[in-house]
Amino acid sequence: MITPIFSSISWMMRQVIYALVLGVMAAYYFFGWGVLLQIALGVITAIVVESVFLALRGRDVISSISDGSAVLTAILLAISIPSIAPWWVIVVGVSFAIIFGKQLYGGLGNNPFNPAMLGYVFLLISYPLQMSTWQVDFLSLGQALDVVFDLSNIDVISSATTLDEAKNSLSFAGSIQQLDLHSPSQAWINAGFLLGGLYLLFKKVIFWQIPVAFLAGIVISSILLFVGNTDLYLSTQNHLMLGGTMLGAFFIATDPVSASTTPKGRIIYGFLIGVLIVIIRTFGGYPDGVAFAVLLMNMTVPLIDSFTQPKVFGQ
Amino acid sequence: MANYLFNGGIVINNLYPVNKVEIIQASLPTKIVLPLQQFGGQTKPCVSVGDYVLAGQVVASPKGGFGVSIHASISGVVLSIDKQTTVHQSELKSECITIESDGKDKWIDRKNDHVDFLHYSTEVLIETIQKSGIVGLGGAGFPTHVKIGKVVDCHTLIINGTECEPGVMCDDALMQFHPREIIRGVEILLHICGAKRVIIAIEDDKQAAYQALSMFNHNDKISINQIPTKYTSGAEKLLIKALLDVEIPSGGFAVDKGIICQNIATAKAVFDAVINHRPLVSRIVTVTGDGVKPNNFEVRLGASFKHLVSIVSPNNQAHNYRIGGMMMGVDVTDINIPISKTTSAIFVNNQVLKPVVQECIRCGQCSEVCPVRLLPQQLYWHAKSENIKDALNYNLLDCIECACCDYVCPSHIPLVSYFSFAKALNKQQTHEQNRINIARERFEFREYRLERNKLERAQMMTDKKKTLKEKMAKEQSQKQKIAEAMQRVQQAKDKK
Repeated sequence: MITPIFSSISWMMRQVIYALVLGVMAAYYFFGWGVLLQIALGVITAIVVESVFLALRGRDVISSISDGSAVLTAILLAISIPSIAPWWVIVVGVSFAIIFGKQLYGGLGNNPFNPAMLGYVFLLISYPLQMSTWQVDFLSLGQALDVVFDLSNIDVISSATTLDEAKNSLSFAGSIQQLDLHSPSQAWINAGFLLGGLYLLFKKVIFWQIPVAFLAGIVISSILLFVGNTDLYLSTQNHLMLGGTMLGAFFIATDPVSASTTPKGRIIYGFLIGVLIVIIRTFGGYPDGVAFAVLLMNMTVPLIDSFTQPKVFGQ
Repeated sequence: MANYLFNGGIVINNLYPVNKVEIIQASLPTKIVLPLQQFGGQTKPCVSVGDYVLAGQVVASPKGGFGVSIHASISGVVLSIDKQTTVHQSELKSECITIESDGKDKWIDRKNDHVDFLHYSTEVLIETIQKSGIVGLGGAGFPTHVKIGKVVDCHTLIINGTECEPGVMCDDALMQFHPREIIRGVEILLHICGAKRVIIAIEDDKQAAYQALSMFNHNDKISINQIPTKYTSGAEKLLIKALLDVEIPSGGFAVDKGIICQNIATAKAVFDAVINHRPLVSRIVTVTGDGVKPNNFEVRLGASFKHLVSIVSPNNQAHNYRIGGMMMGVDVTDINIPISKTTSAIFVNNQVLKPVVQECIRCGQCSEVCPVRLLPQQLYWHAKSENIKDALNYNLLDCIECACCDYVCPSHIPLVSYFSFAKALNKQQTHEQNRINIARERFEFREYRLERNKLERAQMMTDKKKTLKEKMAKEQSQKQKIAEAMQRVQQAKDKK
């Protein structure tokens, strides 16, 4: 009998969750307990909803839950939304992601779309206000509980994200150079996810093609735009260090189920996500484009895969 | 000499290492079972039940050019010629000769002419190989005389001394303890195929074997080449790629490119057959796994696995038995089945629970290790849904079933089982399709024939009618002429 010593699905999912720790710590440092509260809410929701659906579908609940994929989806969604969003936002988002993004397609391995991003886009379209209000200060556990569960009417200083700022203030400012796009919190969070992503590469949980092509897509297309008009378009550095770039490159686009699976296909898939992100950020209606870009490219995966088969030995 | 890399493959440490490789003579079995059908070659028994046979005596001779002779590996009485269970995934039964040992191990008279093999012609040597029952001892069991007789313009003879699977050490032992015989055997093979050079490939973790062979190799044409220890480098096409950087085309054979691959144990068997006039009646089998103390045994062909396992005194736990190797082997439950010419190893492992199979998450680890660059994750999808057409588009038939993908799959999916099932299904469907095609062609031909007959008949009728008409017309005109003549005569008469 062949004894598998390489890994199991739950091992892989655990590695991804470990790799998220640095980025989550950075987010905690800047935004406080709200971040952890959202993750906790998301994970509980995911386990409950997935268990119910597995039971309804007559599947083995314990072995499927323990693969860790639902928990990972919940964490990815929870760190993508504002940490001061009301509790029902994450509950609704995770439920949608698990039910419509995953279980209705037949569960793990059968979903054409990235469930976390499906949940995110659903929330973004349905609750734009809650999804675009980020706080500025560190929140204690008590404050975070107050805000998320709306216990008392405390005021949190909130603002839009830097990418939002860049988009909406451009009309007043005249040149993008005059805007203060300096955001240590976003830079540090992105750096955290970058390091975590390198850990995943080192552990061979993900392959290099998608993140490298993803970042190359962002760099190349943003340079082309920036060179074209420095007043109008964000610099490459801003594109890389703002929004969900690193989370997208190493954790979202690399979801194996919904990504392309051939070596060449991964490069095409990653690159086009990068290009689409820059296009959506620049010309689209929403400040960030990672989720839309990933979902759009998810649709093209069967096509990419069928055109990028490697040359078989001896053919 | 340079080594070339092929895609994928995996480095697996020997899970059951030994301090020193040995070859232990296994005790004589009390009974042997010899399958009549071996590796595609059919044989016809030439003894009957109750006959007394000597060790080395031919008990079945080949029908046609593909098979090889089968020899009694012990002396004794033929007990039966009937269907017995042999090594097969589904434990199918096949026709076998059963011989009960008399315990004396009496041999046939072997001629001992001490003639240098160089004096024999190629044809005689090839015939000797066939009559000595020699097939590829690496695992596939392809008849050696067919392979070596088929090649034209052979430029390279490769002797495969890479252990086919991790944990198996029968070839390693053979190279350490019989280097002289192996080199001589290689020279005989070289003489037959007339190659320009010989490469003996040994994995770089077998230093003792390398030293031993190097010490006995004084032939300029033979070079001994160490290659990195990586699983699947023992597979013929991949070994050729690693040594010569030649990719044998999909569906093609090495012999078409003037390359012959032979196993190290086959070379030894050729030596025994040609120099010692000893047919192939025994082989080295590795018995390993966590249920036993691993070792190599020289055992008579046809002895049961049970006989061999009883010698190694396994521990008292419940065991799983696997024949062949941890990667490509076959799990068996009945260990009364006989050891064949291709049995390189028996794994005796303590029983453990198999991991639960989960869904494929398309992680792509399998395509990363696939030595022939397939996309097992895509192929699985089509094989599972029995969509053979798409599976063929994903090069199902190029799968060498090395099980590297099974080994790395985090979902523990038995991918190779799906692929071999799909291959079988394809074969069946092709067969069915051929039958349908033949039937359709026959039907269409019948229709065509009927139609043709009808047309021909119609044509014939019209022709007949036409000739008849013409004939009638002719007769008519003749009658008329006669009548006219008569008339003229009459007129003449009347004028008178």
